[in-house]
Amino acid sequence: MKPLLSIQDYKAHFYTRRGIVKAVNGITYDVHPGQTLAIVGESGSGKSVSQLSYLGLLPTPPLKIMGGQVLFDGNDLLQMSEDQLRKIRGDKISMIFQEPMTSLNPYLKIGSQMIEPLVIHRKKTKKEAWKLATQALERVGLSRADQAMESYPHEFSGGMRQRVMIAMALTTDPKLLIADEPTTALDVTVQAQILELLKSIQQENKMAMILITHDLGVVAGSADEVVVMYAGRVFETGSVDDIFYRSQHPYTRALLRSTPRLDKLEKELPVIQGNPPDLISVSEGCPFYERCSYQKEICKREFPRESSLGAKHKWFCHVEKIS
Amino acid sequence: MSKPILSAQDLTVYYPLRHRGFLRAVDGVSLDLYPGEVLGLVGESGCGKSSLGRALIRLHDPSSGSLSALGTDFLSLKGRKLREFRRNIQMVFQDPYASLNPRMTIFDALSEPLRAHFRLTTQEVSKKVAKALEQVGLTEQARDKYPHEFSGGQRQRIAIARALVLDPKVLIADEPVSSLDVSVQAQVLNLLKEIQKSTGLSMLFISHNLSVVKYISDRIAVMYLGKIVETANREDLFEKPLHPYTQALISAVPIPDPKLERERKRIPLTGELPSAENPPLGCAFHTRCPWVVPRCLEERPKLQAVASGNQEVACFEAGKKEN
Repeated sequence: MKPLLSIQDYKAHFYTRRGIVKAVNGITYDVHPGQTLAIVGESGSGKSVSQLSYLGLLPTPPLKIMGGQVLFDGNDLLQMSEDQLRKIRGDKISMIFQEPMTSLNPYLKIGSQMIEPLVIHRKKTKKEAWKLATQALERVGLSRADQAMESYPHEFSGGMRQRVMIAMALTTDPKLLIADEPTTALDVTVQAQILELLKSIQQENKMAMILITHDLGVVAGSADEVVVMYAGRVFETGSVDDIFYRSQHPYTRALLRSTPRLDKLEKELPVIQGNPPDLISVSEGCPFYERCSYQKEICKREFPRESSLGAKHKWFCHVEKIS
Repeated sequence: MSKPILSAQDLTVYYPLRHRGFLRAVDGVSLDLYPGEVLGLVGESGCGKSSLGRALIRLHDPSSGSLSALGTDFLSLKGRKLREFRRNIQMVFQDPYASLNPRMTIFDALSEPLRAHFRLTTQEVSKKVAKALEQVGLTEQARDKYPHEFSGGQRQRIAIARALVLDPKVLIADEPVSSLDVSVQAQVLNLLKEIQKSTGLSMLFISHNLSVVKYISDRIAVMYLGKIVETANREDLFEKPLHPYTQALISAVPIPDPKLERERKRIPLTGELPSAENPPLGCAFHTRCPWVVPRCLEERPKLQAVASGNQEVACFEAGKKEN
């Protein structure tokens, strides 16, 4: 299957007064149509920046794209002009964010915001767009969609607002949906509803989804493939089963073990010592080196080369075998 | 069982609203905390768990009800007696960035409560501060630094040390690990567990995260719209939850295990959390409950002990259904 999005050795750094922050430091992976790829990592691992930056959604400077390719449908997004990018954003590639209240305009009716992508990208008249947007709201399970179109964002609960965001992102039938922590601000019972909704819409549309999250439970329930990020690097990629049952990277394993689980009665959680590194002072070596229980001399100096098993499962570690 | 160290009877916290009426954040809660136990208080946002936690240490006074702590009628204490009594009950908050004064060194922050409560020589203060820092796994060098020089996890350790420096009998921790990354979260959870064991203090652990609550608690209380709907030992709560809300909540929590997630059946909760300004009559959960019967609309179920042991549930239909 040809990938819809192919990211190759992509680098994006921030030039700040304190120094260069290597937020995305050479990442490579593919996203396939109809599949959900989850990007997991802790805060500061670069999971959001790795997506927002190539879409031109971050200010440059301080951001500077340092190299690599981001091929969408075969075209390199990094070579496109702002005009060309704008035509893709919100049309073929849509996004939803963590906090729906900050991504909706509080002064505008839901309807006026909903029709924007249709009027801009699809050249619909306002009337046609209004009708399509109302249908989109119905599709995400909002009762009385007519009334919702005439309401303002503050009249909705968090879960409802996120439904509106999803409906808005889907009005143009995007090929790729990037969901950045879409359920992190929501309660678990609402989270379950939203994840279910995203799954059913995806199956209907054969749309690809990139799900950015720090919640390994959400990954297990929603992803087909997983990318584990740490300090701007990809540490491991593979199918969801590769990552959860056959993980080869010490960080992935440690992360899984240190997460409390509802189906277990743990006596004591194994912990990862120390804190995530400061991205200004990351060395050329493996950024996990200091916290890793398998650390070797070479880890300090050199970032490991790719190891792989089968077509999909890849990881980056100097250690031959971990227990 | 021994006598509770902290006991609330029919406690309410009502916030007056500008225009009319009250927001019933805590609406008649009776809850006991026993010596040496960790009681988890879990619920979704807006259920009143933080208001309850704050009322229990009189950060704001309850609107009605009674509260006894260490055998004393806590609500009748005033002035100097109240201030003196407070050293027995300490609190740790969610955001260690907000709860530490940025202009005080760690030593100043930790010695302040000591100076407020005891007449100690400089040496004695130093000794106690050093001991508290050691308890939370920080080195002596930390004492002359400022909060911004520490990571989130370390700051939370400092906040914990500040609570412990007075040797309290009760610790109320309100979402203490919710702002921390997974790898750091496990460190702080283990620390709290270890401290609780070594000092034998009683802890009320408030969180929205069921997996975390399950890991740390001996006993758990589930809160919904200002009321406790179920309490049980941690094994019982997860193995045989009796309240339909508890069941739905547990089923909604994602588990980091893809195979389990594929097989799991979720109990869907329809609708949204009703407003605490105008809570439903009868059982607060009846608007979303799959078991609702006419009686639930009129009468409010009381929290009642279940024949088989240490579990209490507030539901007319609980136990009648087979799950």
